[in-house]
Amino acid sequence: MRLFVRLLSALIGLALAAAGVLLALEVGWGWWRPGRGPLFLPWDAWRDRLAELTWGGSSVRLAAIVAGVVGLLLILAAASAGRRAIRLTDPANEVSVTTSPRSLARLVGVTVRAQDNVAGAKVTASAKKIRVRAISRMETEGQLRPRLLETVSGLLDEVPLVRRPKVSVVVDSPKDRR
Amino acid sequence: MTRSVSAKALGRSTGTERTLTVLIGLVALLGGVAVLVLGAGWLGTYRGRRPLADPIALDWLSQNALAARIGAIVLGVLLLWLGLWWFFRSLRPEGRPDLELDDDLVVTSSAISEAVRLDAETIDGVGRARVRAVGDSENPALRITLWLTEGTDLKRVWEQLDLTVLARARESLGVAVLPTAVRLELDTAAPQRVR
Repeated sequence: MRLFVRLLSALIGLALAAAGVLLALEVGWGWWRPGRGPLFLPWDAWRDRLAELTWGGSSVRLAAIVAGVVGLLLILAAASAGRRAIRLTDPANEVSVTTSPRSLARLVGVTVRAQDNVAGAKVTASAKKIRVRAISRMETEGQLRPRLLETVSGLLDEVPLVRRPKVSVVVDSPKDRR
Repeated sequence: MTRSVSAKALGRSTGTERTLTVLIGLVALLGGVAVLVLGAGWLGTYRGRRPLADPIALDWLSQNALAARIGAIVLGVLLLWLGLWWFFRSLRPEGRPDLELDDDLVVTSSAISEAVRLDAETIDGVGRARVRAVGDSENPALRITLWLTEGTDLKRVWEQLDLTVLARARESLGVAVLPTAVRLELDTAAPQRVR
């Protein structure tokens, strides 16, 4: 997403520059040689067309909706392009350490899967929250969940994270369904 | 809040690009909503039925032709300048500054990257490492990405890194502080063969 926003931003910049050049050239040309018609863009035809359209017209309304949606998408894209890396405490002055959410999720996943009676686990991690979804055939949620919470919390004690994420554990067990 | 050189070196900043993109998005969103409101007749029933190229506005423009033309040309030049600045800022490459230790001693970025990389790969549990110099020549920093093999103790690598690799780099360069950003990545285990 960060790369996408970077490219998008470059394209918007280029579009603005092109619009600026065309605006300055057309206005300058019309001023210097009045009555010679437009230079590059058929803006006099556009003006006649705009004189026919009213603000309430359906094509104007459609264009406004499209502009609004595009604007909203731009805002969402830019808002979701933030850093996702998880900060670890600095081991020394001017040394900063991060790890990726994926790495933290892998670390937790390996530990959880190594527990007894865990058949499989899915882990997602962010700087604020770690979600563990474990599958067990032998134990119920009530039996396994406290143990897994303790394991993950013990693991997080070992990792020097700047802020400790909240941990949520869900156990999916066929024994609970009976 | 100013972030330290090493924290900035963790990744390329996209702050300006994101801010500008949000601004353009807001302009498009608010413009669209404004046109819809106008068209729906909420600002006066008859205003919504007037043409887009309003004769009143066109008359006003032709009465103030000089000001309107100068304004349009200035606006065009400003847009061009802003657009080009924005374009080149978005696509600027990330610098690889050399480290200037003394007036006549310069360590090239590739030399220090290679030396630190070879050092970092000797740490137990580090599968591979990538090192590059980032920042500008005023504030150079190192960015180290370490891929750890599965089952490695994260905390031990985190400790070892400063005690051995970075300490040695600082010592050999003769600097007290070497801004460094470290990214730790956990690799999945390579498939093991049954013994």
